[in-house]
Amino acid sequence: MANLLALVQNETIKVWKKKRFAVVVLILLILIPVFVYAQMKIAQNSAEKFKGDWRAELQNRITDNTRALGSDRIPEEWKKWRRALVQQLQYYLDHDINPQTPNAVTFTRGFMDNAVTLFIPLMVLAIASDLVSGERSTGTIKMLLTRPVRRWRILFSKLVTLTLYVSLIIVSTVVLCYLISGLVFGYRGWGEPIFVGFQVSGADVNTSAVHAIPQYLYVLMQAGLIWFASMTVAILALMVSVLVRSTAASFVTMMAAIIAGAILTNMASSWHSAKYLFNVNLELTSYLQGTPPPIEGMTLGFSLCVLGLWALAGLVVSFAVFTKQDILN
Amino acid sequence: MEKDTGIERERERRMGSTTWLWRGLGTAALACLLLLLAGFGWALKDQWMPTAGMAVPEASPPPAATGGSLAGKPEILIAALGDSLTVGTGDATGNGYVKTAAEALAKAMDKPVRVVNNLALGGLRADQLLERLDDTGFVNAIRQADVVMLTIGGNDLFQFATNGGSMAQGSDISPAQLESRLPEAENRLRDVLAKIRSLNGTARIVYVGLYNPFYDLERIRVEASDIVQRWNAYAHHLAVADGNATVVATYDLFESDIARFLSSDHFHPNEAGYARIADRIVQVLQ
Repeated sequence: MANLLALVQNETIKVWKKKRFAVVVLILLILIPVFVYAQMKIAQNSAEKFKGDWRAELQNRITDNTRALGSDRIPEEWKKWRRALVQQLQYYLDHDINPQTPNAVTFTRGFMDNAVTLFIPLMVLAIASDLVSGERSTGTIKMLLTRPVRRWRILFSKLVTLTLYVSLIIVSTVVLCYLISGLVFGYRGWGEPIFVGFQVSGADVNTSAVHAIPQYLYVLMQAGLIWFASMTVAILALMVSVLVRSTAASFVTMMAAIIAGAILTNMASSWHSAKYLFNVNLELTSYLQGTPPPIEGMTLGFSLCVLGLWALAGLVVSFAVFTKQDILN
Repeated sequence: MEKDTGIERERERRMGSTTWLWRGLGTAALACLLLLLAGFGWALKDQWMPTAGMAVPEASPPPAATGGSLAGKPEILIAALGDSLTVGTGDATGNGYVKTAAEALAKAMDKPVRVVNNLALGGLRADQLLERLDDTGFVNAIRQADVVMLTIGGNDLFQFATNGGSMAQGSDISPAQLESRLPEAENRLRDVLAKIRSLNGTARIVYVGLYNPFYDLERIRVEASDIVQRWNAYAHHLAVADGNATVVATYDLFESDIARFLSSDHFHPNEAGYARIADRIVQVLQ
């Protein structure tokens, strides 16, 4: 046990000293202000139009989306999405709750909802992709494997390290998002009510299970779901990193899979078996939001199972290959 | 010997700093992990075993309009409802008559004029509008408005023109059909205006009358114009009975040189057509 802990310590310090996490934080520090600025412009624009009357603004969103429903040029899948959105917004309006109170927590919530499919996986890959292949390209893998330590322990310590860093990345994203956007939008909003529990069934939204929760709880649940999706990405990246020699190849392979998933979620609704791909299931937060899933019949339980099975398969392959493979050059 | 202890000390110092880094990093990461696991667990619980949730604050509807003359108000609020004419379909600039009229009114009266909301939906019939008038958003907007602008009825009378056949040719319009639709549509208009009035007792209601979109079709020009006239007359009758409502005539705007003021669908006005409607609204409101 002490042995394993020492290995984890070693791996954690290695990733830190390689400045991988520093890069992630740097990316966040550059990108979040960009999004905050864009959001600020949008907010200023609508404040000018609606003079702070959020009900009018909300109704305007409902009307806009309803108008789009009448258009014949919009594909049926998008209409389904809009129809659900209209019913949700109407629910907010009927209960006199502003779904977009202007504050840092609302911004963080929106940012995380959008970050789950591409942005967070990208940052996870920054650390996961060279965890094993990085040792190969520098040759240090030989040093590591000649130690009197079982190979599975080495890979296991890397997995634990990865888990720790994935958690750090997600929490840092939330915290930095809150701190930076708070400068513009104000550090309030933890207690604002948010509705969850919208059930999308076909064209209709079932509101019987809808209940209000404070926004901080929403952000916490959202971060938890993002963590699960990110862990699947991290484990699969670890697997690719075991299988592929170069870090670049490993990174590109995973990135291609993630981007393909993002594209597929937008167009795969008629290809039903695509729902068994891990990259179509990454957007777990959509179940919290109550937006229609990319493919009919997907639920939170289903997506968790698919992601879990992919992660399990990734672990089995990683350990099987890593403990057996010959290290040449 | 001296040198040896120096190296030893240096190594110890390094080991020390690494240990501290590991302790800090490890603890922080572990705390994050536990927090996220808690969030994950809570999300599952909330999704599968939802509880009643927090109490939602009581609804506090927006302030209602105060009434009185438009000239005496610091700011004029406009709510717009109805069909594609109020949406502004056919206007390449996207302004429609509502925005154009609001801007012109602001200039003419030298005070801010704000469109609270344009709630119009393309293809809406009067009976559908009547249903929508129960929606929270419609109630909110109408309650606080000083002026309610609307167009409705065109789809009640002419909607079959869009079902099959080219609208421009008016292929399936028969005068007898128009005639048979009129009484029911008139009842719907009456109900819509009564409902708006019940929501806001003081707003000035501006009903933009119908024009004959088939004026350049000789086959039904006379009959269709006749129906439009009777419709507008009925709307005028309702407006007079209401006392604070006005019908803005538009039929005469689209009778000559119609191609200049209708958009390419031969049914909706273009930006020039909407600008003329807006001119009349401003004249009525001043």
